[in-house]
Amino acid sequence: MKTFEEDKKLKSVLKSVKLESPGNDFSLNVMNRIFHEESLLEKAKREKVLGKGFWIILALFIALFAAMFIFSSAGGDTGELGKYIPGLNTNTVTQDYENFFQRIGSVPLSIAGILLASSFLVFIDRFLSSKIRTL
Amino acid sequence: MESKDDIYYIEKVKNGQTQYYSYIVEKYKDIVFSIALKVLKNREDAEEMAQESFIKAFKSLHTFKGKAKFSTWIYRITYNNCISEVRKRKIHFASTESIEIKDDDSDFNLDGLPEENREKYIKAALEKLPEDEYTLVLLYYFEDHSIEEISKVTRLSESNAKVKLFRARKKLYTILNDMLKEEIYTIL
Repeated sequence: MKTFEEDKKLKSVLKSVKLESPGNDFSLNVMNRIFHEESLLEKAKREKVLGKGFWIILALFIALFAAMFIFSSAGGDTGELGKYIPGLNTNTVTQDYENFFQRIGSVPLSIAGILLASSFLVFIDRFLSSKIRTL
Repeated sequence: MESKDDIYYIEKVKNGQTQYYSYIVEKYKDIVFSIALKVLKNREDAEEMAQESFIKAFKSLHTFKGKAKFSTWIYRITYNNCISEVRKRKIHFASTESIEIKDDDSDFNLDGLPEENREKYIKAALEKLPEDEYTLVLLYYFEDHSIEEISKVTRLSESNAKVKLFRARKKLYTILNDMLKEEIYTIL
């Protein structure tokens, strides 16, 4: 009981003491910094995660795969592709195309894996850094 | 401004009305600054640290769910910031054993403090308390925080916080007693 009374007294005595205060412009400085942070945040939010370059590369890949599909279905037959592009010597194109993919095919799997993983990591890094900036 | 107002202002800030955050800053700046000043012992550094704490709190305001008091939350951010800064700068906390507690000081009568110099004495005594105990006293006596809330801020167990607070109070009495004795000797 005595401790409780003592505690109450100590509380009232301590509360009568004024705590140290920061400078007069403290709140203003905090708010200015917050507004600045907020404008950076808004800017980061407006920035697209996937830029123009990404979409161009993606479009090229799709085009490449589409071409692969068409060529593979056409095989060595010039007649099939000739329907789409008249006057095209499809045999040479197909030959070069196959050579190219044979060369890629001879690349060790580990290197291909590294390339694929690093591209993926770059993408994840870009994605996460943009997310963190918005926090 | 009462504690329930905090939620009102926080909701406004969360809804994009950032300017309302200034109410929060204005309300808690003294205590946040006092904790930082006690640890860093330099007004400029303490002000910078206090600003950082408010900005950090603002940035993670979306994680504040209102289950605990906002004050507990902001003090915890401040306290953690201070601890990190202390570790970074390799500042040593004042030893908790540097002040010898005497049993007879438990009977210290606060009314014995001269009214006109009371604030001066209390401030000087608080100054002599180690940083961690100063924070406990600040939260318990100035801010009316419960032991549970204090343990959340300081990450001490409730029983540990209780023991530390008890020791801090005893130390405060010892310091005040010594100061009064010194004063009497000077007069004599």
